[in-house]
Amino acid sequence: MADRKVVSLKAASAAALLASGLMLAGASVANAQKAEPCIGASLELTGPLAHTGKQIVMGAEVAIDEINAAGGVLGQKLKFLAYDDQGEPSRAVDNGRRIGEKDNCIVMIGGFRTPNAIALREPIADMGLPWVGVISAGTSVIEWDKGENKWMFRVSMKDRWVAPFLVDEALARSKDKKLALVYEATAWGQGAVPDVEAAAKAKGITLVGKETFNIADQDMSAQLIRLRDAGVDTIITYMVDREATQLLRSMERLGYKPTIISAWGISSQLGKTAGNLTDGILVAGTFAWNGNLSPRAQKVYEAMKAKYSLTSPNDILLPSGNANAYDAIYIIAEALKIAGAFDREKMVNAFYKVKYEGLTANFDPAFEKAAAGAKTERHDAIKPTQYRMLAFHENVLKPVEQTPYKR
Amino acid sequence: MEQVIQFILSGLSQGGVYALVAIGFYMMWSATHAANFTHGDVFMLGAVSTVVFGEIGVPLILAMPLGIAVSAVAGALIERIAVRPFNHGPSSIGWMLTTIAIGLMLESALTATYGPLGRPLYSPFAQSPIRIGGSGIYAQELLIPAVAIGLMVLLELFYRHTILGRAMLAVAANPTAAGLMGINVSRIALIAYAMAGAVGALGGILLAPVSEASSSMGALIGLKAFVVAIVAGISNARGVVIVSLGYGILEKFIEGYISTAARNSIGFGILILLLLAFPNGIFGKREVSKV
Amino acid sequence: MTPRLQFWLVLVLGIAGLYLFREMGPTNYAIGVLTRCLILAIVAIGLNILIGQAGLVSLGQAAIYGVGSYFAAWLALRAGFGFIPAVASGIVAASLVGAALAYPSVRVRGVYLAVITIAFGLIFQNVLIEWVPVTGGTLGLTGIPRGEAFGVRLTRQIYFWVAAGCLVFAFILQYNLTYSRYGRAMRATAQSANAASALGINVANTRMFAFVVSAALAGLAGGLYTFLNLFVNFETFTFFQSISFLLMVIFGGVGTLTGPLVGAGILTYVPELFQEFKEWQTFAYGAMLAIVMFVMPAGIVGSLGTLADRLTSKARSRQSGAWPAADALPKDTTKPSATGSLVADVKGYTIVFGGLTAVSQASMRVEAGKVHGLIGPNGAGKSSLLNLMSGFYTPTAGSMSLLGQDTTGWKAHDLARAGLARTFQNTELFGDMTVLENVLVGFHGHYKTTLIETLLRLPRFGREEKAMAAEAASLLALVGLSDYSDELAKNLPFGHQRRLEIARALATRPKLILLDEPAAGLTHGEIEQLKVLIRLLTERGVAVVLVEHHVDMVMSLSNEVTVLDYGEVIASGPAAQVQDDPRVMEAYFGSGAALEDMRKLAETAGAVA
Repeated sequence: MADRKVVSLKAASAAALLASGLMLAGASVANAQKAEPCIGASLELTGPLAHTGKQIVMGAEVAIDEINAAGGVLGQKLKFLAYDDQGEPSRAVDNGRRIGEKDNCIVMIGGFRTPNAIALREPIADMGLPWVGVISAGTSVIEWDKGENKWMFRVSMKDRWVAPFLVDEALARSKDKKLALVYEATAWGQGAVPDVEAAAKAKGITLVGKETFNIADQDMSAQLIRLRDAGVDTIITYMVDREATQLLRSMERLGYKPTIISAWGISSQLGKTAGNLTDGILVAGTFAWNGNLSPRAQKVYEAMKAKYSLTSPNDILLPSGNANAYDAIYIIAEALKIAGAFDREKMVNAFYKVKYEGLTANFDPAFEKAAAGAKTERHDAIKPTQYRMLAFHENVLKPVEQTPYKR
Repeated sequence: MEQVIQFILSGLSQGGVYALVAIGFYMMWSATHAANFTHGDVFMLGAVSTVVFGEIGVPLILAMPLGIAVSAVAGALIERIAVRPFNHGPSSIGWMLTTIAIGLMLESALTATYGPLGRPLYSPFAQSPIRIGGSGIYAQELLIPAVAIGLMVLLELFYRHTILGRAMLAVAANPTAAGLMGINVSRIALIAYAMAGAVGALGGILLAPVSEASSSMGALIGLKAFVVAIVAGISNARGVVIVSLGYGILEKFIEGYISTAARNSIGFGILILLLLAFPNGIFGKREVSKV
Repeated sequence: MTPRLQFWLVLVLGIAGLYLFREMGPTNYAIGVLTRCLILAIVAIGLNILIGQAGLVSLGQAAIYGVGSYFAAWLALRAGFGFIPAVASGIVAASLVGAALAYPSVRVRGVYLAVITIAFGLIFQNVLIEWVPVTGGTLGLTGIPRGEAFGVRLTRQIYFWVAAGCLVFAFILQYNLTYSRYGRAMRATAQSANAASALGINVANTRMFAFVVSAALAGLAGGLYTFLNLFVNFETFTFFQSISFLLMVIFGGVGTLTGPLVGAGILTYVPELFQEFKEWQTFAYGAMLAIVMFVMPAGIVGSLGTLADRLTSKARSRQSGAWPAADALPKDTTKPSATGSLVADVKGYTIVFGGLTAVSQASMRVEAGKVHGLIGPNGAGKSSLLNLMSGFYTPTAGSMSLLGQDTTGWKAHDLARAGLARTFQNTELFGDMTVLENVLVGFHGHYKTTLIETLLRLPRFGREEKAMAAEAASLLALVGLSDYSDELAKNLPFGHQRRLEIARALATRPKLILLDEPAAGLTHGEIEQLKVLIRLLTERGVAVVLVEHHVDMVMSLSNEVTVLDYGEVIASGPAAQVQDDPRVMEAYFGSGAALEDMRKLAETAGAVA
C-alpha cells in the first residue's frame, strides 16, 4: 500500500479544496495535484497502422490550434503530446504512465486499437488520469466487467451498439436473410463476434456463416467458397483496407457478389486500391469528409488541408476517427472551462455537463452519469442514433444518402 | 472439385511468391553461407519503387526494370555493407543483426515517406479473372509460379553453362578452394546478392497488381520464405522452388479444409516435423560429419 | 580486468546505482520503465548463456518468455495462484518448453535450429490469438490481481526490488555457471562438438541444459512481467521481440558478463528517447544498431573489453618449457592397469557408408603399457577405424570391449568416460578458450561437485576447482606450456597446439589413448620429444594406439603393428615381423606383378584409342 500512502499524503495537503471530491472517489486514487495544460496521446505513429495515428493527430491538432487561437482554455494554451505505441499494449501502458506521471497531463487521448485501451484500464484508474478514446470501439473499454469505470470516456462508436446497426442495415438489404460475418483475427474482430451474434438473435435470425482471416492474408477464396456454398447474400465485415482489398479481389475471382456491410475499419484508401470493386460497399461511421459539408466542417477541412498539404478529402483516410478526435478535444476544452481548473477530478465531473454541437453529433450532454444504483452511465458520447452509413460510389466514400445505395 | 482447383491455383500463386523470395535466399546462402535476413524488404523495395516510378510518369515497361535495378543495387549494397564485414566463419551471427538493422531502416523509411498503406500497380493481367467453373484466378497470379519455375530452369542452365554460373557453383561447394583456383569469391558474393535482389523485386512486382505494394508487404513473406528455403534444403535451387510451391498449396488446403485461423500453426508444425525428419533439408545434401 | 573483478564491480555498482535511483524519488513511470528493463535483462542473460556459452541461436526466445508470462497470468487469474507459485509454475512450464525445443538441437544445428525456433515462435503467436478460451485471444488476459508475497502487497515501489533481486540472482547464476565445468562444457561443445564428446561431454545433454537454463530465466522474466503489467497480450511476445532479445545480446556483446545488461538497458531506454523522432523513430533505432555494429562489431562490452585489453596488456614473449617434463605427470592422470593386460579388444569391426565398406572385419588387441601402431596407405581406413573405436562412428558389424566391458557401439562421450582418450588429425582445440581451460574441460567427467553446489559456490566447488587447476597446471608443465596457460588456444603455434591437445586428452585420465597422426606438421626435434612423451606414457601403463604416416616413428615406438589396406587388416604382429611382410610392401609400393598388370592395361587402352 506504499504508493497509496505517498499519494494520500499529497492528497491531504489539498484536502481542503477537494474534501468532497475525495469522499465521492471512494477507494480509487485521486491525484489532487494540479495538472499541466497538455493533452497526451498514445498512438500508432510507425508501422503498418501508422496512418491511424496520423488521422488522430490531424483532427486533434487542428482543434487545439483553433482553441489556442481563440485564447486557449482558462488563459492557458493547450499542448498536444503524441507518443508512439506501435500498436503494442505494453507500450501504450508505458506511454500512459509517461503522460500521467511524468508529463502530468490533464487528459489522455486513445489510439486505434482496442487491446491498448483495455490494457490501459488499470493504469488509468490507478493514476486517476482521464482518458478519452476516439477510435477503439471495443465494448469492454468503457463497460467494465468488474469495478466502476470512473476515468475512461469515448467519443467514438461502440461495438455493442454498432452490431445492431450493421445487422439492421444488412437485413434491410438482404433478399434471403442469409447473413454472414467475416472478421479479422484481432481483438476488434474477435470481440465483435458475440455482439453481432446477439444482434442477429434479437432480430430472430442466426448467422449462416462466420469466417476469420489473419492480418496480411492475400487470398480469401477458401472463406468465400464456404459462404457462397451456404447461400449467403449479405456479409457483415470487421476488417481494414488491406484485407478488404483482398476480400474484394477474391470475390471477383469467384464471381461471387454478396452485399458488403462493414464496420468502420475500411477507409477512403480502399477506393484507391480496389477501384471499381468498391462500388456499393457500405461502411458504418460517424462522419464523412466527402460530399456536402456544413460550413464549419468546410472550415475545419480547409485548415487541415493547409496544415497537412492535403489534396482532397480522400486524403483523410479515417474520416470518422479524424472527426471524433476533433470533437473530443472540444469536449475536453469545454469540460475544463466548466471545471474552472486544470484538475483531473473536476474535469471528469464536468464531462457530464458539457453541451457542445460538434462535427459528428450534437452532444447534449456529452456524457451521462449513472443513476443511483443502476449501471446505466453513458461514457460514450456518440449515441447509436447518431451513427451514419457511408458508401463507396465512384471510388469515393460518401454519406449513403448522397449515393445510389441508400435504403 | 471446384474447390480443389481453386486451392491449387491460389496455392500455386502464393507458393510462387515464396519461391521467388526463397530463390534469393538460396543464391545468397550459396555464395556466402549467410543471407540478408530481411530479404523480404528488398522484395518489397522492388514493388514499391516500381509503383513510385509509375506514379511519377515512367511507363510501366520501364518502371519494372528500374524497380528491379533498385533492388539489385540494394542487394549488392547490403552484401558490401552489412554482410561481408560481419561474416567470419560459420558461427558468426553479426550479419543477422546488421541485415535486420538495415531492413528496419528500409521498411521504416518507406513507411515514413511512401506511407504505411498499400498502393495499386497496374497490370493488364489483373483486370479480370479467368473463371473455371465456380473457381477463378487472375492471369497475373498464374504468372507468378510460371515465372518462378521458368527462372529456376534458367538458373540451372546459367549455373551449368556459363563461366560465371560455374564459378558460383564452385564457390558454393568450397569457397576456399574456389579462391585458390583464382575465382574472385568476393565479387561472386556481390553478384549473388544483386541477383537475389533482382529476383526478389520481380516477385514483388508480380504480386503488387493483385495485392498492392506497401512498405510492410515483405516482412512476413520474407520470414516464411526463409523458413521454407531452409526446410527445402538451401543448397538445392530446384528443391527450394518445389517446396515453396508445395507450401503455398498446403496453406490453401489447410485454410480450406481445416481452419483459416490455425493455418500458421499447422503449416509451421509440418515444416518443423519435416526438418526433424530431414535435418539438412528435404532436398539438401547430407553432410557426413568429418572427424 | 579479470572476470571476477568485473563481476564484483558490476554487482556492487549496479546495486548501488539502483539504490541511488530510488533515493532520487523517481516517478512511478520511471520506476515502471526501469523495472521492465531489469526484467528484460533477465531474458537477455538467459539468451546470452545459450548463444555465448553453448553457441546456439534462438529466434523464438520471446515465445518462451511468453509461455512463462501466460502461464503465470492464467494461474493467477483462473486458479487463484499467488505470486510465488504462479511465477514458479511459469518457470517450470518455460523450462519444459525449452527442453522440447532443445530436442531438435540433437539433430539439427546452426541456421536449421534457428529456423525451428522461428517456427515455434510463430506457432505460439497463432495459438495465443486463436485459443481464445484460455489465452483471451487478441485481448489477452487482463485484470490480474497484484501480487503478494509473504504477506506483503507488491506495489510498484516494492516490485522494483523484487525484479532487481531476480536480476541479481540471474547475474550471479550466469557468472557461477560460466566459470565452472558446466560453462566450460557449453563453450567446448560450441567450439568443437567432436572434441567435447571425445573428452566425455554429452553434447546433446549439454545443449539441452543450456536451453533449459535460458528458458528458465525467460520463464522467470515472463512471470515477473505478468505481475508488473497485470495484463498479458500476444503483442508482447512477437518475432520482433525475439529479435530484440537477440539484439540486446549481440549489441551488448555475446558471451560477455555485462553485455546483456548493457544491451537491455540501451534497447529499453533509447526507444523512449527516440519518441522525439515521431514517424522516423524506428528508422533511428535501426540506424543506431547499424552504426554501433560498425564501430563495435563485438558489441559494446565486447569491443570495449578488447580495447581495454589491448591498452593494458603488456605484450610479452612467452617461453615454451622443456618437454616432456616427466616429473610433472600427475599421479591421478595415470592409474594404470598391469602392463600387458588387455585394454581394448576389437573384433571384426566393420562400417559401411552407403555401399562403400570403409572398414571390413578389422580386429585389434591393445595392451596396457604398449604402443600399438596402425598404418596403411592413404584411404586405407585408419581414421575410420579410429573413429569406430572412439565412438564417432557406429559399427555396422563387430564388437569391442574396453577393460573387459562390452563397449560395442558406445557413444564417444561414454567411451571417454570409460577411459578412452583421443587426439585429432586436424587438431580440434577450443580456440576461444584459454590453454588452461582447454585442459580443464578434459576433467569434465571427473568432477564430483553437483550443479547446485556449483551454482551456489559451496565449499566443495572451490576445493575441487583448485585441485583440478593444480592437476591441469602439472599437465601443462608436462608438455612445457605452463607459460601459456592464460593464452587463447587459437593463438598457439601449431606444434604447441598438438602438445596442448595431448595434455587435454590426458586430463581425462585415460587407460587408452588414440593418437591420430600426432607428428604431422611437427619439426624433427618436436617429433623426438613426442616420442619421449609416448614412451613415458607407456611406462606409466597407458595403452597407446598410434596412427602415423612416419613409418620410422611407428616402427621404432610400436610393440605391435596393424596394417590396413582397403579397410582390411592385411598384417598384424610385432613391428619387425610386419615390416618384412610382402603384403605390406605390396600395399605401400605395389608389387612387381601389379606393375606388370598396369603396363598391360595401358597398352590395350592405347591400342583401342
